[in-house]
Formats: sequence, structure tokens, C-alpha cells
Amino acid sequence: MMSYYQAYQPIIDFFLLNLGFAYSQQVALRAGVFSVATAGFGALGAYASAILVTRMGISPALAIATATLVGTAVGFLLSVPLARLRGVFQAIATLAFVEVIVSFLYYAEGITGGAIGINNIPRMVSTPALLAAVAAVMYVTWAIGRSGVGRAFDALRQDETVAACLGVSIRNYHALAFVLSGAIGGLFGGLQSLYVFSIEPGQFGFGFMVAILTAIVLGGRGTLIGPVAGCAILALLPEIARPLAENRPLVNGVILIAVIIYLPQGVGDGLLLQWRNRRSARRARAIEEASRAVP
Amino acid sequence: MPSLRLENVSKRFGGLTAVGDVSLTVPEGTITGLIGPNGAGKSTVVNLITGMLKLTEGRIVLGDEDIGEIGPEEVVRKGIARTFQNIRLLPEATVLENVLIGFHRHETASILAGLLNLPSVWREGKALRKQAEALLERFRMSDYADLPAGGLAYGHQRRVEMMRAVASGPDVLLLDEPVAGMNDVEADELGVIFKDLAASGMGLLLIEHNVRFVTKLCPVVHVLNTGRMIASGPAEEVMRDPAVITAYLGKGQA
Repeated sequence: MMSYYQAYQPIIDFFLLNLGFAYSQQVALRAGVFSVATAGFGALGAYASAILVTRMGISPALAIATATLVGTAVGFLLSVPLARLRGVFQAIATLAFVEVIVSFLYYAEGITGGAIGINNIPRMVSTPALLAAVAAVMYVTWAIGRSGVGRAFDALRQDETVAACLGVSIRNYHALAFVLSGAIGGLFGGLQSLYVFSIEPGQFGFGFMVAILTAIVLGGRGTLIGPVAGCAILALLPEIARPLAENRPLVNGVILIAVIIYLPQGVGDGLLLQWRNRRSARRARAIEEASRAVP
Repeated sequence: MPSLRLENVSKRFGGLTAVGDVSLTVPEGTITGLIGPNGAGKSTVVNLITGMLKLTEGRIVLGDEDIGEIGPEEVVRKGIARTFQNIRLLPEATVLENVLIGFHRHETASILAGLLNLPSVWREGKALRKQAEALLERFRMSDYADLPAGGLAYGHQRRVEMMRAVASGPDVLLLDEPVAGMNDVEADELGVIFKDLAASGMGLLLIEHNVRFVTKLCPVVHVLNTGRMIASGPAEEVMRDPAVITAYLGKGQA
């Protein structure tokens, strides 16, 4: 058992890191915000904690807390100019934000080390720390689902006009979604940089963004289980399909298309929804029969 | 409860006057009718009151507060709720969840408490659920609580939308063609509920095509045609008004 664990530990750790980023992506989508800014938040968090640890000798806990704060602040700042944008325009604007961050990391060599990045980061984060962070984020995501915040997010996603007509402040809740996405992104950026030994700007570019978005498309954007399912598929796939290693992008693509066609809500959300629909169909039949029984 | 007053309200889209110089009052505790043929500007009036469209001229007053310039989110908080002509539910949510979101403006638990799932949140959630269930009972929809709203029959979807509006606890309720597409029996069932709501002190503005339904419920009826108010008064009188007959049936029918 132990040897299994050791063999798979890196996979588990990367699964946990990706899971965190996936929740950062999910909270934005849940509120109807089509943001892909998670990569940018992650980059800022990663560099913040790496710089604090390597150059200033600050403790890892404090560095990760700072990374979270940076993500939170940038999330809020980003929400202000983007308040009037929706849908695909929001996606383009946040994509530009990520590109700006990545360019900045390349050009501000004095601070970020440019294309070489920061390479002397000690590993200060272990599996239990990652587990704790994921648990905390899952708890908050679960809590959102049970509270008025979740109801407001769900209403905004499904019909913004209706939400406004019920008194849901579009601006405040969209800002909250950006702030949460930023906080979670910053937190896991900070954790990642203290785990992987070295960071460079390319890690947080387009490929990273697509991978996180893929995890949500595969898993689902509405439920707690969605990101877990999505990240698990992305983590396990390369292991299962090792004989097809050379064709991995092809396998990824085929699976993505299959999920979009057969479970458009994602594997996690889709199965949950099917279960709910089957249950409600039974209920509806029961109601119909009961009303027929009354003459 | 305060009553709603429109004073010389106008809305122009470029050169087109959608609503011109309309004045009406929705007093508390009564159902006021607003009828008119297609394109008369009825829905525009609702959109002006709820702040979804900006006024060109005139004033909208609730109690003694001018609410003409504020956006939809604040209008709800002042105590005005609406339903939509084409039903707009949250299709993925269940009936109960659709009603729960109606209580949004009464939620007091802070956002931080929501993120941490503190006891204040679940206490409030429980209380809201109870209120929502009572509302379902009143609209005879309890059996459907856990069904997805998107899959319901048309008449039931209408009810869900109404429950959601009532959940926000409005002083004034704007109903945009609430019985469109319903048969007389279903419409009359809703009529009873509307009368109930009015009896509790709420002011209702009923926008309808169904003249029979309006005359039965509304002591006062206003008639719009091409954005102008062409008649106001007791329902029977208004229905005999030649201008109204011409507007509805065309010239030479009176």
C-alpha cells in the first residue's frame, strides 16, 4: 500500500494542485462570469510566494498567505473594468489579462528572472498541506452552494435580468466571483511554486488556461464533485493511456468531444443531473397517478 | 403600504414614442387593470416602473419617494416585484429553489457568513425554506417543490414565477399578462389568489389581454393604445367607451 502511495504521490500532488485551480475557475463560471483569469491569478501567486521565500527568507505559510492576498486584490481590481462585459467579451478581456501578466513576467527580469524564471525554490509544501488547502476550498465551495450567495450566483448564471429584478446586485456578486476566483487562484499559485522547485512564465500561459478550463468542461461547472471528476480524468488519463503516450493530445481531444456530446454538463454534473431527473420523473408520475386516482 | 403613481410618464426610442404622457395610480389593496391591444406599450410601462428602461419624461413615485431614476436592483428593494410576459424561470433550478431566490432581498446573513457556512446562514436558510414551502402551499404547488422548473407545464411555470415575485414581499406587484394561454378555470384560480394578495394590502397592476378576466377583478381599468392612455375608469364604463371599442375592434364596429 505504502509503495503504491509513493509511486503515485506526484500524480496525487499534481491532481490536488490542479483541483485547486479548477475550483478557482469554477466559482467564476458558476456566477455566470466567463473568466479565464485563473492562470493569471496563479502566476501572480506563484511569483509572489517564490520571491518572498527565496529573496526575503519569509516563512512559507506567510508567503502563501501573501500569494492569496495578491490574488484576492487583483481579482477585485480586475472586476472593476470588467463589470460591464459579458460572455465571450469577458473571456477575451480575461485572456488579455493573462497575456499581460505573462508578458510582464518575461520582461521584468530584475524581479521575476525573465524567461529563466526562479529556480532555487526549496520544496516547502507537501501532500498534507495540499490536502488541507483543497479541503478548505471545497468547504467554501460547499458552503456557497448552501447559502444565499450560491442562490444569487446560480440566478445570475441562468438569467441575469431575472436576478436583477429580484434584487441581486449584479456588480457586487460578479465582483465577489472575481475575488473568490482570485483568492483561490493566488493560494494555489503560491502552493505550486513552493512545490515544483522552479517556475517560469510559460507555465502559466495559454496551455495552463486550457487545461484548467478542460477540467471544468469535463467535470462540470455547477457541483462540488465536478472539478474532482474533471481533474481525476485529466490526471489518470495519461496513466491509463500510457501505451498511447505519443497520441496523448489525440486521446484528450477524443474524450473531450465525447463528453461534450454525451454529457454536455460534464461527467460530475451530468451524472448527478441524470440521477435527479430520473428521481423527479418518478415523482411527476406519482403526482399524475395520484391526481388520476381522485375522481 | 405605499401606493405607486405614474405622473406624465413618457418613453421615446429615437423618433418613436412607445409611451406618451401616461399617468396612473396603483392604490394599495386593489387590483388595477391596464389593457390595450398588441404594441400599445403595456410592457414598456412595466419596464419603466422596474427601472429596466430609463424614463424620457415624467415621474414614478412610490409612496412619496421618486423611484424613476433608479435601476432594477434598487426598485425591488423599494418593494416592487414583477412577472414577465414570456415566463422567465431559472430552468436548471427546482421549483423550491426558484421561489427561494425570490427572498433574496430579505436575506440578512452576511456574505462572509455564507462563505463559511456559519450557523446564522443555516438558521436563515431553514426559515426561508419554511416560508417558501408555505408559499408553495398557498399556490397549491407543494407536490412540485423538488421538480426542475424548466420541465413543468405552462400554467405551473406561471405560478412559480408568481410565487417568486410574491416571495420578495412587494408592496406593489406588476403582473405582465399572468393568465395568457390559460383556460378560464385556471385563470379564475389565479384570480382568487390575486384577490387574496390585494386583500393583504398589496397593490397589484394587472396587465392583460383577457378583458373578461380584467373586468371581473379590477375596479379601475386603464386602456392604452399606441402609447397613449385613451380611457380610464370603472371597467364597465371603459368597455363601453367608443374609443376603446375602436382601438380593439377597428372603426365601424361600434
